[in-house]
Amino acid sequence: MPTHPNFRVDRTEGTGAMNTPSARSIYVARSLPAAIDALDECGPAGAPFAGGTWIMRSPIRHEPHQPHYVAIGKIAELTAIRIDADVVEIGAAVTYAALASALADLPEFNVLATAAGRSANPAVRAMATVGGNLATSGFAAADCVPALLCLDAEIEISSRGDQVRIGLEHFLKIRPTLEPGRLLTRIILPRSDRKTAHARLPLRKSGDYPAAIVSLALSFDAAARVQAARIAVGSVEPVARRWERLEAALVGRPLDPAQAAEVAAELAREFTGRDSVELPAWYRVSVLPSLVRRAATAALGT
Amino acid sequence: MVLNLTVNGDRRSSLADPITPLVDVLREDFHLTGAKPVCREGFCGACMVLVDGAPALSCLVPAALAENCEIFTVEGLAVDGTLTPIQTALEACDAVQCGMCFPGMVVTLTHVLMEKPGATRDDIRAALTGNICRCTGYERIVEAALLAVAAK
Repeated sequence: MPTHPNFRVDRTEGTGAMNTPSARSIYVARSLPAAIDALDECGPAGAPFAGGTWIMRSPIRHEPHQPHYVAIGKIAELTAIRIDADVVEIGAAVTYAALASALADLPEFNVLATAAGRSANPAVRAMATVGGNLATSGFAAADCVPALLCLDAEIEISSRGDQVRIGLEHFLKIRPTLEPGRLLTRIILPRSDRKTAHARLPLRKSGDYPAAIVSLALSFDAAARVQAARIAVGSVEPVARRWERLEAALVGRPLDPAQAAEVAAELAREFTGRDSVELPAWYRVSVLPSLVRRAATAALGT
Repeated sequence: MVLNLTVNGDRRSSLADPITPLVDVLREDFHLTGAKPVCREGFCGACMVLVDGAPALSCLVPAALAENCEIFTVEGLAVDGTLTPIQTALEACDAVQCGMCFPGMVVTLTHVLMEKPGATRDDIRAALTGNICRCTGYERIVEAALLAVAAK
């Protein structure tokens, strides 16, 4: 008899909970209203299933599966990317691979194309979705989160009879407590003239979770001085965030990668790195100045 | 609930829980033990199969979402016992050691050669990002792939 946790007949045997195999389900939604209705009906026992690359690793994290999943990967509007003159809209179920491909010829989105195109490995990129990446509170190393933070992303959340848009920073704060029946449906990115870059440091050349990520988006004035800066750090702390003190330090002067790295070295101690089995906390913080230099160099090259 | 899957051209059925990883259904229900559950988190590629023609990590695909898909495992690639070009090349290059990673390698490389008949060394190395080998150091695998490309 197979011993993998998913083959257990009933993890909650004897408790009466609705977690028996006959009660478990994966519903493949074909439309957004159908998905939202299903999630609403499932309540706390249900969850959306996009690419599933996080959900399917629940057993190795020793976490139970939800009894019911609503698969959203076949919903056309959630897998669409719309590129207009002023805005880019990305459906929540767009895969990393599709996103990287769609943005490949838009230099202002180099940061996001790199984040999506260099994360994990080819097979994972063909499954993992940008919405899943954003919605997963426990995934500290998510590449798309810092990339989207520096692009001033807005998040659309849909529920029965309601649709709201909130800033990504706010979404990151509320996502652990998002009520059942509410689904992240779109990511909206304003367009502007900027240079962007995404610097990630995996343990090996590719295929690994990054030790640290620096994403940046910079606009320049006519004298080539930094006019506006958005710099986000991922994978160092449990949740990605903006590096506002570094942003302020770069504004008003020309971008010099070496100088930016020096400033970053002075400011890096504001971060409290996270310990993990693969890396100690201090290392994640220590590489930030180098990543700032790499990202600044890459941005200047675009 | 019965899961109906099409595997290597055959219609198969399983009573597994819908969230069961496809690799476990393939191995335990259908006795197709080529795909190997190793890392179970999508890093190593030992579980790679083709789903609708594209490489898929069967440890991360719930069996229920593999219904209505064409699934090919390493066992289904050779036709009437004739090795495919990449299988032939890997044998000719004496590339296999313990064999743990090779079903996944063969599936990934089969896809690369279909999509990029003129694949370069860099193309092959990039495609193998998600296939880890602890024995060979990869060079004979890459050489075999290049040999298969040249033979086309």
